[in-house]
Amino acid sequence: MRKVYAALAGLLLAAAVVQMYLAAVGAFDKPQDDSSFALHTMNGMMVIPVLSLVATAAAAAARAPGRQIGLTVLPLGLVIVQSLIVAIGGLFDDSTGNTTPLSLAILGLHAVNGMAVIGACELVFRRARRLAWPKPEPRSQDAAEGSAVPAS
Amino acid sequence: MTTDRLMALDLLVSVLTAAAWVSAGVAAAARRTRTTAALFAVALVASLARVWSVLALAGSGWWFVQEKVTVALPLLFAAAAVATALAGPRVLRAARRPGPPSGAVPHGVRTPAVVVPLLGAGYAAAAGLVQTFLVGYPADPGTALLLLAVVAGAVLVTWRASGASVPGLRTATAATAVAAVLGVTLTFVPATEGTAAAAEGAASAGAGAAGAAGSETPSAHGDHPASADHSVSGPSSEGHSVSGASASVAGGPVRPVTALRGPAVPPPGGAVRRFTLTARTATVTLSSGRKVAAWTFDGRVPGPPITAVQGDLVEVRLRNADIASGVTLHWHGYDVPSGEDGVPGLTQEAVPPGGEFVYRFVAAQAGTYWYHTHEVSDLGVRMGLYGTLVVTPEGAAATGVDLTLPVHTFAGTTVTGDHDQPLVRQVAPGTPVRLRLINTDNTPHRFTLAGTPYRLVAVDGTDLTGPGTLGRAGLRLAAGGRYDLAFTMPAGPVVLRTDDRSDAVRLTPGPSGTGEGAAGTRTGDGGTGDGGTGDGTGGGSTTTAPTGDWPELDLTRYGTPAPTPYTLRSRFDRDFTLVLDRGFALAGGKPAYAHTVNGLAFPDIPTEVVREGDLVRLTVVNRGRDTHPWHLHGHRVLVLSRDGRSPTGSPLWLDTFDVRPGEVWEVAFRATNPGLWMNHCHNLSHADLGMMLHLAYEGVTTPFHGAHGG
Ligand SMILES: [Cu+2]
Repeated sequence: MRKVYAALAGLLLAAAVVQMYLAAVGAFDKPQDDSSFALHTMNGMMVIPVLSLVATAAAAAARAPGRQIGLTVLPLGLVIVQSLIVAIGGLFDDSTGNTTPLSLAILGLHAVNGMAVIGACELVFRRARRLAWPKPEPRSQDAAEGSAVPAS
Repeated sequence: MTTDRLMALDLLVSVLTAAAWVSAGVAAAARRTRTTAALFAVALVASLARVWSVLALAGSGWWFVQEKVTVALPLLFAAAAVATALAGPRVLRAARRPGPPSGAVPHGVRTPAVVVPLLGAGYAAAAGLVQTFLVGYPADPGTALLLLAVVAGAVLVTWRASGASVPGLRTATAATAVAAVLGVTLTFVPATEGTAAAAEGAASAGAGAAGAAGSETPSAHGDHPASADHSVSGPSSEGHSVSGASASVAGGPVRPVTALRGPAVPPPGGAVRRFTLTARTATVTLSSGRKVAAWTFDGRVPGPPITAVQGDLVEVRLRNADIASGVTLHWHGYDVPSGEDGVPGLTQEAVPPGGEFVYRFVAAQAGTYWYHTHEVSDLGVRMGLYGTLVVTPEGAAATGVDLTLPVHTFAGTTVTGDHDQPLVRQVAPGTPVRLRLINTDNTPHRFTLAGTPYRLVAVDGTDLTGPGTLGRAGLRLAAGGRYDLAFTMPAGPVVLRTDDRSDAVRLTPGPSGTGEGAAGTRTGDGGTGDGGTGDGTGGGSTTTAPTGDWPELDLTRYGTPAPTPYTLRSRFDRDFTLVLDRGFALAGGKPAYAHTVNGLAFPDIPTEVVREGDLVRLTVVNRGRDTHPWHLHGHRVLVLSRDGRSPTGSPLWLDTFDVRPGEVWEVAFRATNPGLWMNHCHNLSHADLGMMLHLAYEGVTTPFHGAHGG
């Protein structure tokens, strides 16, 4: 079960990375509008939350420590904050719906919080791997990344 | 407070509520007794504030609070009550205990009996937010059950994670799973039923047997005129889409939409105006010399202006050279016969490369209109497949300067005609000037006119009654809409500015160019007076000052009242309510975070069926956070009310009206133009994401089966 959990955490991290990629795709799409970000929106509002929920359930089923379970649902919480940043930023657009300095100041946080999502997913994955494989097996992939694991 | 503000306030309060409950739970888990107690109090106050904000919002209409009243608030209150009963006494006891920090107390607040209920209330509060964002209007049992299952599951996981043994864990888990499965089934099965009902939908719709399918409300067909407010049909009860299907009529004649075409000869006294437009890709040069790759009619952006005199027959031969996705011509705001309306898959097939289609219609309405492709219209229009249509009244001698100014965002810059710099004209003082503003974009523009008093004489092609003189006013023009401004050229310069940022037109006093005043209409692609001549900025301070603080003109209070053929008190034969929102839905068969109408996206939105001669009322409610310029093909609508208030000025006959967040518009029209029509948001990217539906006359069928409507 812990291996399943680790795999789900890996998927979650992958989805978060893909999300960044899709944000760039939307930003460079020309001409640009809502539909430029359709994939970004779908992945962010559907795929990541569902993966986060499923991974959390897996963590619980795998009898992971409570802290780890709480951590696994963190990406979902942060993704909700992502939507709120967009919604609240939009409240400060001008009457024709164009952005204002204030709305942009708020909307810019979307990228900062996005990095937090990636960070949280990465942390979840690292710890999930440690749970699944307590002693890193001598595989090159683990050896390469094993050194990056801080004892937090 | 406006509904818009109330919606924002409710959003903030619900965020605060969820955050307070969750933080209280986290604080308890971290053994912070006093923090827990404080956050607990904040959460309780915020939850009560949530009741108040929902009640306040309810004053704007049931549509704005339906999901909150039926699901979010009950869920929040059940969870808050449990949290208060279980955690409340324990937190109080721990907080009152004097002496050592609570961390030293063996149990304190870090007990599952405190942490789990507090977090549970947080989940319940967050579920309401998630529901508003992901599901929107209307809440239904399926999504409510699914949400409940997610909250219950989260509580179980939390409970288990808190280290306690959960009594009856297996039973509870099983119950949650069953609820989740049931919720998913209820949510997704109606969609398949809808497809199955599509075939029979045609028959039942035609017979006007609206309520037959057993929806919980009187149905969108509105055979009951009194049922103004909640005439929203169930998700799929008679959900048929017109693409492919049709509205047959019991006992009436059946006509294909292809038979509803314009005449071959003009009415007596009218001339035939022939145009040929060839759609092709091209590189166009803007006035600054900048070159832009575009989709064009005849290699130009905007396309060739189409002009006629009222009573003429307009004949336009559309050819497609190389627009791979196909092209059509839709006459925006012009009540052409349905077969000439240019909607691919509904009134014709899109014209493929090498193909052609001939449009014919009588220029019955004078005024300012425009045309654009309706095939992949979001991309197509933005890439340049649009142009102007101006019809001058019969017998009216054209005098003065008459400029048609389509404003478009092209490759990231705002262009007026093909000018990405201000269009400069010399006009002799005393000359009558008419500026025809057309917003061909997806979003509204704000215009200001400085340097002269003026009047807004026509909106969407229709003259206003008694338009007063305007000065420092901001004119907000909906996407797809048109304003005609009229004034007499003063001795100083006149500047038309777009969005308080860029000058679109500068008129400078001086001798008009040869023949300037004679021609009736022309587009703003002036070959004369580009910048060089007489940039006389006398009195320039009045035309260069910022305009951002000029108040926005309220059209519903402008001009003088006049009799209208129907009013709010009329008896309506049909009553349709469209609640606009965002949520997950199948848009064009694909799951998307769609722009929804009554919770559904095209093609799943039930077609509105009318009978020829019906008086129809449309209520359009925007409970989302985007502006939706609503556009009905083939009919001009009379504004009955906005946010419950009738216009006090000139009657407003519009083809595109901006429904801003929180607004409720009631409009009416007489069904006198039989056919199959699009009824959609003219922010075409919203239409692409589901915000469109069909309005069908009984007895009109279509031979086309295109999946696409726009
Ligand atoms: Cu819209």
